[in-house]
Amino acid sequence: MRSWWRVLGILLGVSVLFVGAWAEKLVVIGPWSGAEADPFIAVLDAFKAKTGIDYEYRTMRAEDLSKVLPAQFGAGMAPGDVIFMWGWWIAKFADHMADLTDVIADVPFAYVSPLVVNGRTVGVPYVVFVKPGFWYRKSFFAEYNLKPPTSWPDFISLLKRIKAIPGVEDAAASGDGVGWPLSDTTEHFILAYGGVNTFLGLIDGTVKWESPEVRAVFEDYLVPYLDYASEPIEWTSALDLWWEGKYGIYFMGNWITGMVDDPSDLGVFALPGAKAVTGGPDIFFVPKYSKRLEDAKKLAAFLMSKEGQELRAAGGGKLVVRADVSPTAYPPAERALMKALEGFSLVPDMDDTIGGEWQAAFWDQLKLLWVKPGALDDVLRVLDEKFPKG
Amino acid sequence: MRSSPRAEPKGTREGKSRKGLPLLFWRLPRRGRREEWLAALGFLFLGLVLIRFFVIWPSIRTLWFSLFDAKGFAGPSNFVALFRDREILDFSRFLRREPPWGALFHNLVWIFVHLPFTVGLGLILAVVFSKIKSWWVGIARGAIYLGIVTPLIVGGVIIRFLFDKHAGMVPQILGALGAPIPWSAGWVAYPETALLALVIGSIWLWTGFSMVLHSAGLSTIDRELYEAAQIDGASELAQFRYITLPLLRPVTLVVAAMTFLWELKIFDIVYVATMGGPGGASNVLALEMYFAAFRELDPYRASAIATLITLFSLPVGYWFARRRLRR
Repeated sequence: MRSWWRVLGILLGVSVLFVGAWAEKLVVIGPWSGAEADPFIAVLDAFKAKTGIDYEYRTMRAEDLSKVLPAQFGAGMAPGDVIFMWGWWIAKFADHMADLTDVIADVPFAYVSPLVVNGRTVGVPYVVFVKPGFWYRKSFFAEYNLKPPTSWPDFISLLKRIKAIPGVEDAAASGDGVGWPLSDTTEHFILAYGGVNTFLGLIDGTVKWESPEVRAVFEDYLVPYLDYASEPIEWTSALDLWWEGKYGIYFMGNWITGMVDDPSDLGVFALPGAKAVTGGPDIFFVPKYSKRLEDAKKLAAFLMSKEGQELRAAGGGKLVVRADVSPTAYPPAERALMKALEGFSLVPDMDDTIGGEWQAAFWDQLKLLWVKPGALDDVLRVLDEKFPKG
Repeated sequence: MRSSPRAEPKGTREGKSRKGLPLLFWRLPRRGRREEWLAALGFLFLGLVLIRFFVIWPSIRTLWFSLFDAKGFAGPSNFVALFRDREILDFSRFLRREPPWGALFHNLVWIFVHLPFTVGLGLILAVVFSKIKSWWVGIARGAIYLGIVTPLIVGGVIIRFLFDKHAGMVPQILGALGAPIPWSAGWVAYPETALLALVIGSIWLWTGFSMVLHSAGLSTIDRELYEAAQIDGASELAQFRYITLPLLRPVTLVVAAMTFLWELKIFDIVYVATMGGPGGASNVLALEMYFAAFRELDPYRASAIATLITLFSLPVGYWFARRRLRR
């Protein structure tokens, strides 16, 4: 009998220790995984070393979080203490967020501003991504004597030449997450050949998807491009295939610099004629239901401190938001990107700005368009039908 | 629970009291049986409480919500809207053009293709494996049964890779045989093949269930029936047709009913493999309900879809429950 008590005691002790160890960790939820997450993990490690506060990083996509969080908030709970999420979504659920006004009072923001709702800072932009255009390997272009295009016919000619190279499956790789890299490509085409005003009009609903100017962008530019683009491939697999030379160019955001073996081999060009590129912040919030609110605020403060931001800048893949971080803090690939973006204006990412049901419909319809360009009429109709009313 | 030796009152077995009232309203049993009832209730209490809070109450609330919209009581208008919604039923495309045909039609395709295949394949495999005595039978059985113990989320990932252009076995083989696109490309990327990929992939995931139940059914058939048939000169096919098939009929019906219910509420595989796309070409009712609830944040439409799924399941569920009660 005594031995049973002993076993029970040990089990209880182990459980308490386990639960204690688990409970002590600050839970950080972000969208990045693998190589893309490494620079952020380095910042979290620095925070742990400095404060002694242990953390657990969990990868969760914003589209998954959007389905989990409302129910959790309804129960007065949250799955994490610091969570990265879409800006429009944070604004919609602002009542459930802790006020971070004091935490970021001294941060000199560049590019973007914190998300303030009813005088409360509910979302803090941590880093900025840009989607500058099509990436290529300098070594690949040099081997086949290819050059970035300077005009639309030049671009089509480049696609034809790449497609003709033996071993190349298609000229351009099309990455697919839940449809978002396709949306980035589409937005780039609209910006380049529809113009910034059309682009912004589509965001605020004053321009219809079935309008002649938008239809022209699709019919005259995007659909012809699809003849040279692959079917949607899971985007990290597409990255590997493109890097191996199965595809010549790949449209992706600047986080790609942190995901390839040799960032110095990367080159990028925007579509000829483009004057603007899309970009936006990765925003985090602290739920007011966090059981470790003060520690979460400490982490938020560290992430936004000059030390934390410089550390993140050194990891590459994103631009940090503090204006007082020197360009020398970035790796060479980011510095080259910043130089390449001179003269371009930055506009907000369309689907992240509109959000909601429309965002999901946009992704899904583009997946259809990519393999069925003939479905263009249906695609544009659905995008107008699904656009938020009012 | 051991049954009482006392004779049961007339009508009890039919679920009715002597006055024709349902069993639930029948007068309290006599002392000996009352103790048994109390013991049974004691065991059932926790389960009943859980069912009350986690099944009955949410079901009633779902039904209630389905009759409302953001402005107030809406009557059946949510259901009318569903049947007019192209995402649920698209008559203009169904069987005329490639999917999307609407989530309900996609569920029907699932039922018409997946159900006969899994039930039939499970039956055939169970019979074949019962005839063969070899070392590989156990391995083959295990491989088929693996589908049923694989979490459906994992199943969805497997399907996605199975039909992937680069990693997938199916497009690679078809490509080598000279099949055109989309058969030699990523099936889940094309509207013509996305739904089919999911249905075919899920046949493996569910056939194990059918096979195991049929195997169990086979073991209950008296071997003497086969011996007598052999003496009478019946062929293997005749034995199957006139002994196995009729005697397995109750099992086959149960498997078909369970498979039907599984197909109506199919969600995980679709969510993981295609998210209902491309362009809604593989969407199903349960996924549409999920999108309505958590993406559109529209509990009323979501409740209407949930009620619709329940209504479709109800006849089969009712038949199933009656069958068990009769036993």
